[in-house]
Amino acid sequence: MPLLECKGLVRRFGALVAVDNVDMSVESGEIRAVIGPNGAGKSTVFNLITSVLKPTAGQVIFAGENITGLPVYEVARKGIARTFQLCHVFPALTARENVRIAAQARDDQRWRFVGGGRVLSKSTTVADEALEHMRLTRFADTPASMLSHGDQRLLEVAMAIAQRPRLLMLDEPTQGLSLEETDRAVQILKDMLKGGNLSVLLVEHDMEVVFKLADNITVLHRGRVIADGSPAAVRANAEVRSAYLGGTE
Amino acid sequence: MTFLSFILAQCLSALSQAAILFFIACGLTLIFGIMRIVNFAHGVVFMLGAYAGYTAQVLTGSFIMAMILAPIFVGIVGAAFEWIFLRRLYGRRDGGAYLLLTFGLAVVLSELIRIIWGTAPLSAGIPDFLRGIVLILDQPFPLYRLFLIGLGLASAGAVWLFLERTRAGLLIRAVSQNPEMVHALGTNVDLVRTGVFGFGCALAAVGGVLAAPLVTAFLGMGTTVVIDAFVIVIIGGMGSFLGSIIGSVLVAFVQVFGAYYFQDLALAFMYFLMLVVLVIRPGGLLGKED
Amino acid sequence: MNWKLGFAATAVACVALPFLVPQYSLTILIEALIFGLFAMSLDLMVGYCRLYSFGHAAAYGLGAYSTALILIHLQLPLPIGIILAVLMTIVTAVPIAWICTRSTGVSFAMLTLAFAQLGYAMLFRFRDVTGGSDGLVGIPQPAGPFGMTWFQGKIGYYYLVLGCLLGSYLLCRAIVRSPFGAVLAGIRENEAKTIALGYNTRAYKIATVVLAYGFGGLAGALYAGFAGFASPELFFWLTSGRVLIMVVVGGAGTLIGPIIGGVFFVYLEHQLSQVTDLWPLIFGSIFIAFVMFAPEGIWGILTSRFKVPAKLPSSTGGKEASDAAA
Repeated sequence: MPLLECKGLVRRFGALVAVDNVDMSVESGEIRAVIGPNGAGKSTVFNLITSVLKPTAGQVIFAGENITGLPVYEVARKGIARTFQLCHVFPALTARENVRIAAQARDDQRWRFVGGGRVLSKSTTVADEALEHMRLTRFADTPASMLSHGDQRLLEVAMAIAQRPRLLMLDEPTQGLSLEETDRAVQILKDMLKGGNLSVLLVEHDMEVVFKLADNITVLHRGRVIADGSPAAVRANAEVRSAYLGGTE
Repeated sequence: MTFLSFILAQCLSALSQAAILFFIACGLTLIFGIMRIVNFAHGVVFMLGAYAGYTAQVLTGSFIMAMILAPIFVGIVGAAFEWIFLRRLYGRRDGGAYLLLTFGLAVVLSELIRIIWGTAPLSAGIPDFLRGIVLILDQPFPLYRLFLIGLGLASAGAVWLFLERTRAGLLIRAVSQNPEMVHALGTNVDLVRTGVFGFGCALAAVGGVLAAPLVTAFLGMGTTVVIDAFVIVIIGGMGSFLGSIIGSVLVAFVQVFGAYYFQDLALAFMYFLMLVVLVIRPGGLLGKED
Repeated sequence: MNWKLGFAATAVACVALPFLVPQYSLTILIEALIFGLFAMSLDLMVGYCRLYSFGHAAAYGLGAYSTALILIHLQLPLPIGIILAVLMTIVTAVPIAWICTRSTGVSFAMLTLAFAQLGYAMLFRFRDVTGGSDGLVGIPQPAGPFGMTWFQGKIGYYYLVLGCLLGSYLLCRAIVRSPFGAVLAGIRENEAKTIALGYNTRAYKIATVVLAYGFGGLAGALYAGFAGFASPELFFWLTSGRVLIMVVVGGAGTLIGPIIGGVFFVYLEHQLSQVTDLWPLIFGSIFIAFVMFAPEGIWGILTSRFKVPAKLPSSTGGKEASDAAA
């Protein structure tokens, strides 16, 4: 049984059909990339899965459970962590504090009203581990707003890992990164995903990154799935080629 | 007195009330629409209009002149405040600063009014040419209130025309939707903001000038009014011109009929109305969520 | 360590105060401490969660009137009366919080104001119970439990207020440093992200508002027990405005700042009102000045001298070797 299943997802904005009958699934341990030209509906699909938007039709099944339309925070608590296209961190808080808030999210402790040090230590440990994974340990006490854009994106990923998700959803993680930063990010992600218990759904524009990381690729065009398969297969697919390179239909 | 004529009289009363409320609420919603600021000082601006109108009427002997001069004066004061103080807050991440600043303005302005005009209520009374009673269905109805209804309708129409059919109005609507774009197109957005803030204050001042003959200009007249104005704008939707009209009418009716049937609870009724609207539609009936 | 020392020193100084100042200024001191507590309660909402309230007077008024009614009609011991009043305030705060948090930003602020004004109107509607515009007078300070009377004198009451203030401060401090407090920081910094992490932020906001009302209610209760009367002004929007000013001028988000702001405000008001009629004007201007130029408030200014500015650690690029060494 796939970890995540999207069945017939549709999302309309008035007359515009942004997502048109999308079927997609992510297996346990799989890294799947979602690609497509601008306006293909990739971020919308992400928003539908995480319940930021409610689907006009269709279902989202996660680990066998129908999570369609649940409140955003509940979806997160089921084990889905996501990063955003416009990098979302807590600017005035230090990197460690940022990740710690993410780490304690699924903790029973999170409603503890009192207690500093000792109570926080568990999530602090998880936070430090996540920072370590993303090679951000040296920034642990730096306010997030002072980090470079690339480091902020990595911080966001660190926060996502700290949530100990089953499914990690990355929305254009390398956007705005320099070549060097992108390489570094890909390397870090690859290391982290080794021995993968983690499943990843990834929206990306950078094809090199996609081909380096993804096990499988779903191609969206104008809200519809036009291809789905291994990187090699997708590369060879004529329709995909024309969607990216060709003119309008 | 028949029931019908009674209801009619109450309705007309409510409409005349709505007219005054409209001036205040319209100004508030315009300011919000373009600046995303809620002008907490709006009630005091209304009060300033009433006092300035009184002085203008005493000095020139003409109510009409007061209706013209007072809003201009208050508009300039408002624009100056925006230019000197509010403008400096644009960079701030924290939107709460505006709320606090306009609150500070409210305190300072009301104190200045007290210092300049004193504590006794002031009124030059209803101007002679608007005194008198009109018989509607055998019910006597003050001419002044009919005048308010007429003026309110005319002004609503004028503002609508201004916003929808003039270039300046288009500019204002554009800035309220996408200031960066308008700026990129070469317009001095700051100037537009200052202008709208001043205009919004001027509108509130008109309300003040019109209200003074009815309730006299007195200290504290701003505080209930600012809440009324906020209730209206929230009900009608922040930033929605149409909403300010609908909201004004709704609130005025609730106030007038509520005062008649429920006396003490009339005030509470208005809050219930706001609560109900906000619970059902947190963004207000017509407007955008802030 | 530093903090504990500072706190201990302040506490000791405060305990010694009644013996160092003349009796008449003890009255102002007590009022100042009560306002400090009131301001700190609002800081939980404004400073830590960015929930601006224009209606916090409701908490104060609820606490005061509840205390008044309990002490006048039930003749319960003062401390018990205060505790009960706080509980009543908290219970009333839950539906208020629930409704207000349906909106954000300005709508939230206006809803809080609406509730305060509603409370104000209710006072006049049920004037048989609340005394209408006259308010409730002659609030006693019944002894007990166990026949305790130490709080009945001015000095005794001072220690009661001081104890409540210090205790509340410690409690609030613990709250903001807890996991719960961390979530508030997240909501303050980026609510959408906090939700995306899996937090039901609305529930947290409701909790924050209820807590703020609880501490605010305590301040109101202490006031009623001290002043001996409760009047409608306590619910009026100007009271809400004053406490908001105290928070901002004192320094939002620091707990200590608003306490200082409250104390500062009461003293300044007392001194200025004797000298000039213009003191509200002066206050308003000071307030505007702080909002414009010193949003971090008095405490923020004082403590920034001691803060080490955050530095970005020197970045050595993406080489793993140097990362391992870091």
